[in-house]
Amino acid sequence: MVHIGFLVCLPLVAAVLLSLVRANKARNAIVYVSAALIAADSLWLCFSQMGTQGVYFTFSSSAVDAVCTLASIAIGACIIAYAVRYKNVWAGILAVVQLVGSLVFDFTLAHTASVEQGLYFDSLSLIMAFIIGIIGTGICVYAIGYMEDFQKEHEGEKDRRPTLFAIMFLFLSAMYVIVFSNNMVWAFTGWEVTTLCSFLLIGYTKTDEAIRNAFRQIIMNIAGGLGFLAALYYSAGVMGTLDFSQFLQMGMIAPALVVLPVTCLTFAGLTKAAQMPFHTWLLGAMVAPTPTSALLHSSTMVKAGVFLLIKLAPLYALSVIPSMLAILVGGITFCLASFMAISQSNAKRVLAYSTIANLGLIVACAGVGTPEAVWAAIFLVIFHAVAKSLLFLCVGTAEHHIGSRNIEDMDLLFERMPKLARLMMLGIMTMFIAPFGMLVSKWATLVSIIDAQQVALIVLLAFGSAATFMFWAKWLGKLSGIAAEQEDVELTVHKSEWIALYAMAGLIVVLCALLPVVSDCSVLPYLQSVYGSVGAPIGNDLLWLMSVLVIVVAIVLFAGLNRQPKDVRKASVYMSGVSVNSEARTFINSMSGETEATSRNMYLENIFGEKTIKPIGEIACTLLIIAAFAVSLSLSISVLF
Amino acid sequence: MTTFVATVVGSICFAVLAPIVGCFLDGLDRKISAGMQGRVGPKLMQPYWDVRKLLQKEKMSVNTVEGTYIACALFFAIVAGGLFYSGGNFLLCTLVITLSSLFFIMAAYSTRSPFAEVGAARETLQVMSYEPMVIFTAVGMYMIAGTFDVAGLFDMRHPLICYGWPIFLGLLFILTIKLRKSPFDISSSHHAHQELVKGITTEMSGPTLARVQILHWCENVLFLGWTGMFFLSAGPASLIVALVFVALVYFLEIWIDNNFARVKWQVMLKWAWIVALVAGGINIAVLAFA
Amino acid sequence: MSFMSKSPWVIHYDASSCNGCDIEVLATLCPGFDAERFGVINTGNPKHADIFLVTGSVNSRNIHVIREIYNQMPEPKAVIACGCCACEGGVFHDCYNVIGGVDRAIPVDVYAPGCAVRPEALIDAIVEAEKVLEEKYEAMKKGEHAPVIPLDAPVLKKGA
Repeated sequence: MVHIGFLVCLPLVAAVLLSLVRANKARNAIVYVSAALIAADSLWLCFSQMGTQGVYFTFSSSAVDAVCTLASIAIGACIIAYAVRYKNVWAGILAVVQLVGSLVFDFTLAHTASVEQGLYFDSLSLIMAFIIGIIGTGICVYAIGYMEDFQKEHEGEKDRRPTLFAIMFLFLSAMYVIVFSNNMVWAFTGWEVTTLCSFLLIGYTKTDEAIRNAFRQIIMNIAGGLGFLAALYYSAGVMGTLDFSQFLQMGMIAPALVVLPVTCLTFAGLTKAAQMPFHTWLLGAMVAPTPTSALLHSSTMVKAGVFLLIKLAPLYALSVIPSMLAILVGGITFCLASFMAISQSNAKRVLAYSTIANLGLIVACAGVGTPEAVWAAIFLVIFHAVAKSLLFLCVGTAEHHIGSRNIEDMDLLFERMPKLARLMMLGIMTMFIAPFGMLVSKWATLVSIIDAQQVALIVLLAFGSAATFMFWAKWLGKLSGIAAEQEDVELTVHKSEWIALYAMAGLIVVLCALLPVVSDCSVLPYLQSVYGSVGAPIGNDLLWLMSVLVIVVAIVLFAGLNRQPKDVRKASVYMSGVSVNSEARTFINSMSGETEATSRNMYLENIFGEKTIKPIGEIACTLLIIAAFAVSLSLSISVLF
Repeated sequence: MTTFVATVVGSICFAVLAPIVGCFLDGLDRKISAGMQGRVGPKLMQPYWDVRKLLQKEKMSVNTVEGTYIACALFFAIVAGGLFYSGGNFLLCTLVITLSSLFFIMAAYSTRSPFAEVGAARETLQVMSYEPMVIFTAVGMYMIAGTFDVAGLFDMRHPLICYGWPIFLGLLFILTIKLRKSPFDISSSHHAHQELVKGITTEMSGPTLARVQILHWCENVLFLGWTGMFFLSAGPASLIVALVFVALVYFLEIWIDNNFARVKWQVMLKWAWIVALVAGGINIAVLAFA
Repeated sequence: MSFMSKSPWVIHYDASSCNGCDIEVLATLCPGFDAERFGVINTGNPKHADIFLVTGSVNSRNIHVIREIYNQMPEPKAVIACGCCACEGGVFHDCYNVIGGVDRAIPVDVYAPGCAVRPEALIDAIVEAEKVLEEKYEAMKKGEHAPVIPLDAPVLKKGA
């Protein structure tokens, strides 16, 4: 419990310090030290408690409750202030509704249901702690170098870095609160804090676009937060408990009783996990500086949403309506977001769509609710977190050094930034190809959904995966191009950026190679504690086989491609005639002049463009959500009265 | 551990045998095609001589990494074949062969040749076109046989084809893409006069091209194995039935190759997905709910 | 043992031919003469080819193209001049822009005469070229390489 307290409070202290300190050196030191401490403590907690079946701490404190109430007031006040300043009516209304709602709740119902065991950890929250502690802090370290370049590029603007770093650490603290709280009110407070933090981070640059996207985010997520709040009302008012583990147990005994709150919580999870029709907030978040997007995408915000849904998985296995809601919305989002990623040339947008797609898959897995599906979901969470943060950081670094985040401009990156290109290739391969972790998880997903006979989901998965191959492979291809000696622009990359990048890459290889160990020591114990004895959907023998293949691919990427064969004659590229310069791809045209051969990747705009696909997904998912609420409401009414 | 050993042994055997069988099939293909076109055609050994010649040619390349990528593609194709023919996991086999395709695509992209790049882009389209049907095949197999293990098929009373014939037909459709046969040989054709020079293999020459050729032989043997898998059941007689049907399927593919003109990628993508959705989707739905 | 003579893959380039020889080259590869009997494949790509079939005479515009294609072919490689124009300029030999036969641009191994060149003559030339390929393969193993001809090198001596 000391560790939990430490992990929650240390980032808070760091955040306060960072918001006060204005000197660069001091700030860097604070970031390094607190990141190292958080990472070390998370690791220590994970390894010392490896394989735990869940530990609950008897802890209740009216002081913490008061802090939560104050935090709600602060969050509400802050959003209302922004809404008034930027004249955004919807955000204002929603914020007022939420503020009033949570205050009424805190002063009435909250006291009727006391929670004995306020804190807990089990293997799942340890995995989350690992992700937050390693990846979250890694991103903070990376931000040191990145923001220095960012500030140089935005010369003359106000240096808002103290706020930025403070918010990032606050974010980490809030995440720890979410994963360690058994008291639903506390978890809700953490949930709302992450919403506010991401609002502030997206609006960081204060441009019109940033403000607009920040408000879109806040509107959608407060709507989700209201869903969470509704579940709290129901839980406290009808079921008389705010203890999350009790809530789950009661739900398992009487599934009909919890249909409505589970649907509400699912709704909250869907908004936070940026599922259709709420996916636009995550796309809008791309205007923010890269560490922000990485933090939002990989380790925190969106993972909070799926974390909640994975916790609810045992209830999905029992109640059809919320389960179908999660499966269908997740499946449709996975398939359509993958389609739309094909039509994007902006690297960060591709990453955003792929994030939405993978979250969709996790949501769908959680919705299936069988132990095998949850196994797959947890591995998707782990590998998505590491691979995606590596990719975001790579794109951020590339952007600062080649001046663009367009994939078409990443031509020849293999030579201009050799190390970075290889890291990026590793990240991309981890995302979509066997034998890396994401695909192993997808394989497990497939097995679990066949066992659960989810035909619609199988079809969505099949087509979505095919689209996934397309958009990753063409990006990978662009990276792998080699011409002649190019100017090496990599030398000016900050050391802190390399530390973070290599840490992530190392983590990927280790996790992929040790996948069976992770399965046995962390994921299976969690499933055991929830479902009783279970096995993994994929046998360990096959997993070890994959590990060997992972090592082969890693060696090829980082050693094999540096080989310089000697007895090979270098030839020019075939240009149907006279080539002038192979590197520049110029040839003599029919008028004796020089022409450059250019080629672009295929984006299939007419088939997979946003204009075509987006309305389909939004309408389908909105209807699903409305239908789920209508049915579960009527069911609950019939059960209660 | 046994899986591991079986895969390694299977891969070694596949590495030795598949090129021999693939080479023979390729020779047969050219002979039969020539017959269909009213020609005498080359000797049966011609593909073997071609590859031996390519291996003897000068090593020439536009960059230093192309050969490494192709070697990887070949390696993973052999691992996929070893997995399949040692009775291993079919789904893993499909995933590993996709990895092989990816390395092949990257080899082409790495050259930065305009023709090879367009060829590689089309190859990714081809992968995207056939991938859903491949997944449906694996799903169908698992639903009917209850296992992804190819060896498990020998325990069945009825072969897969009895309950999975729509999936088999769908697989036949995308097999034309996988075997690079007209009308779907859009990324690279083994006939001359393509608008893309030689598409994805434009910049590969000599020993590298020989490896690409061997890669295709291995792939062909593997993919024909996928079709043969549908006829396996308990008893050794089913192996003979499977071989007969594989021969028929191969003949059918050659016939298609000689009788259809190449289509545009839009047509390929559209029909491959429609066939996958109808054949695969309906078959799986019936298996799940009936 | 060398396999060079077993699978002669060709690339065909029309320098400034009147298209007569080109039609005959294609006729050679078509079912009527079926050159694939001898393993001949028209690759259309210098990087895959062993034998370079050139039709038509060399002029100041296409001399660079011929040299580029020649340089892009991996060793061992043979060149066949197909038809009178390719052999020594033919009826176009004294046109203002014509330099002469293919041997003014790159070393030619086999000359196949005729206006237009007959498929029989072409098949004969390819069989001859196979022998040249064998010889060149032996030479290549000893370390003797075909020259890389710079695109703007001076015109070669006739019949060199």
